[in-house]
Amino acid sequence: MTHAIDATDTATRLAEVGDDAADHEKVTDLVSAIEEYVTDGSSIAFGGMGGRDPEAAAREIVRQGTTGLTVLDDARTTLFDIMVGAGCVDEYVGSWVGTSLISQGHNVRSAVENDVPHHLEMRDVSNFGSSLMFLAGAMDLPFVPTRSMLDTDIPTHNDDLAVIEDPLGSGDPLVLVPPARPDVAIIHVQRCDPMGNAQILGNVVNDHLKARAAEHTIVTCEELVPTEEIRRRPELTRIPFYTVDAVVEVPFGSHPWHCYGKYYADLPFYREYGLRSRDREEFLEWLDEWICPHEEYLEKVGADRLATLEHMEQTINGADSAGETDE
Amino acid sequence: MSDRSTAGETADLPAEPTTPIRVDRPAETADDYTTTELLAVAAARQIDDGETAFIGVGMSLMSGILAKYTHAPDCQLVTESGYIGSVPPGVVQSISDTILGVDALVATDQCEIFVDNQRGAFDVGIIGAGQIDSRGNTNSTAVIGDATYDRPKVRLPGSGGSNDIMTSCGRTVVMMRQQRRAFTTEVDYVTAPGHLEHSDRREELGFVGGGPAAVVTDMAVFGFDDDGEMVLETTHPGVSVDDVRDEVQWDLRVADDVETTPEPTRGEVAMLRAIDPADVVLRGTDYVYEVGFEEWSDTVLEHWEQLRTVQNDTDDSR
Repeated sequence: MTHAIDATDTATRLAEVGDDAADHEKVTDLVSAIEEYVTDGSSIAFGGMGGRDPEAAAREIVRQGTTGLTVLDDARTTLFDIMVGAGCVDEYVGSWVGTSLISQGHNVRSAVENDVPHHLEMRDVSNFGSSLMFLAGAMDLPFVPTRSMLDTDIPTHNDDLAVIEDPLGSGDPLVLVPPARPDVAIIHVQRCDPMGNAQILGNVVNDHLKARAAEHTIVTCEELVPTEEIRRRPELTRIPFYTVDAVVEVPFGSHPWHCYGKYYADLPFYREYGLRSRDREEFLEWLDEWICPHEEYLEKVGADRLATLEHMEQTINGADSAGETDE
Repeated sequence: MSDRSTAGETADLPAEPTTPIRVDRPAETADDYTTTELLAVAAARQIDDGETAFIGVGMSLMSGILAKYTHAPDCQLVTESGYIGSVPPGVVQSISDTILGVDALVATDQCEIFVDNQRGAFDVGIIGAGQIDSRGNTNSTAVIGDATYDRPKVRLPGSGGSNDIMTSCGRTVVMMRQQRRAFTTEVDYVTAPGHLEHSDRREELGFVGGGPAAVVTDMAVFGFDDDGEMVLETTHPGVSVDDVRDEVQWDLRVADDVETTPEPTRGEVAMLRAIDPADVVLRGTDYVYEVGFEEWSDTVLEHWEQLRTVQNDTDDSR
């Protein structure tokens, strides 16, 4: 990257603009952010999708013993299965649950099929349906129409959806998708500044919409960077400061999943989760072992192992990863 | 057909440069392959060169990557998490696997991908399902049985993108295991729309997508006739038409000239094994778990390197 204005000059110049003066109170720690925005009965949307998932934040929710949660989402993997098994979640609205290639979500199945530890209510939409419910929420509209889900059982079993004929006269049937308005969106990103400008490298999934649809947004980030660093790559900012309430630096916050440009997924770790979560007793032992403050969790995983995951990601996405070139 | 005992044997093959990977006589029929490998190859061959292919996780993604590395180098892979034009150097563990970002043309968001999908931008989609009926309607939400949607017999993962793909992709390929309980007279829940109750229905609804065009299983390949009914087209080597009928609940339509599904080539099998070094998709083994972290990471890195080398060779030859 070349810049018309030298970075040193930029910093000097921006000191007079006033970025530094505002919004530092958004920077907090993970325990405080979850305590403030995730309480019993909250509705939550999580960012990422089998990559860049806010796993550390979800483990903190489990650690705090929060219950009665509704998860409004698209496709959700291990973090959701853990929360369901731990008894935190009552309802799921979304398109897909499992733990990806490794296994089905055993806790999700136990909860839906057998009420263990208690019943989980499912409200299905398609993947586009989940994008649109966050788009409707972000736009503050009562619905967004689509052709997806027509003539299937998705609207049959989800009373929130409606099928109508186009009122403007084309005669086309349409499915109306209502807005998702979660109490809080929790999004993990590579870089964020104290103002809450969140930069995402690689794919975005629905994170830009979830932050806008939610009442409050917590951004957890691999790296807290100065605002002048954000200004050098504004095209990477997908979540703007005015949608963000709390910013927390959480290195390896997506482990065991991928974080593009930072570290590869720890496949053996979530494979082990898949195996141990098949049995209720073994799952409870897993919870005892791994639900702990994030720093302690990372120590248990081990620095060498984390370094290997970073090396793996560098091997495939290291050369041109944005952000790295500026440093 | 036999089960392969170890991963990564392609590394020991002669280093003579051939396509698609370093293996002797790549175009010849493979003499050693598994049923799952045949399934992956048969699905990959459904993607034509130059097409835009919308693919999901697991086997469908494997087949897309295989197509890209073999007969369809100019196909472009699309995934619902936001990547277009990926050239992943190995098996994809999840829909946001960072290797989907390797040499991709686009990294965007899910809403944009499905907006393009609804307009008909993508030629072919590949999905999986838990149940299918004779008109290609699929269920990946819940096997309900005598129970209810709220407390089903088996809760499946859900639609994911399968509903949207089947609604709007130019045509859709469904990959499944051939089982009588899955090839059912009536699916318990329609997750993705096949040819619905009559052949004009999709047009009435305004769908741009043609719906299911092929079903590829571990026993056979099916197409659909003008009525929208599934038709058996080829059976895999060693599988009879009656074998397939036994695994289908309805009175199956069978093409006049059912042939044997073409077998995988040596090149295709070598490539598949290079894409999935840890046997995660192809064999579903506990290999990864058993070897532990260090060997897993070494194996994956080694195989990525191998596939990146192939990519570079291919680039140089153009």
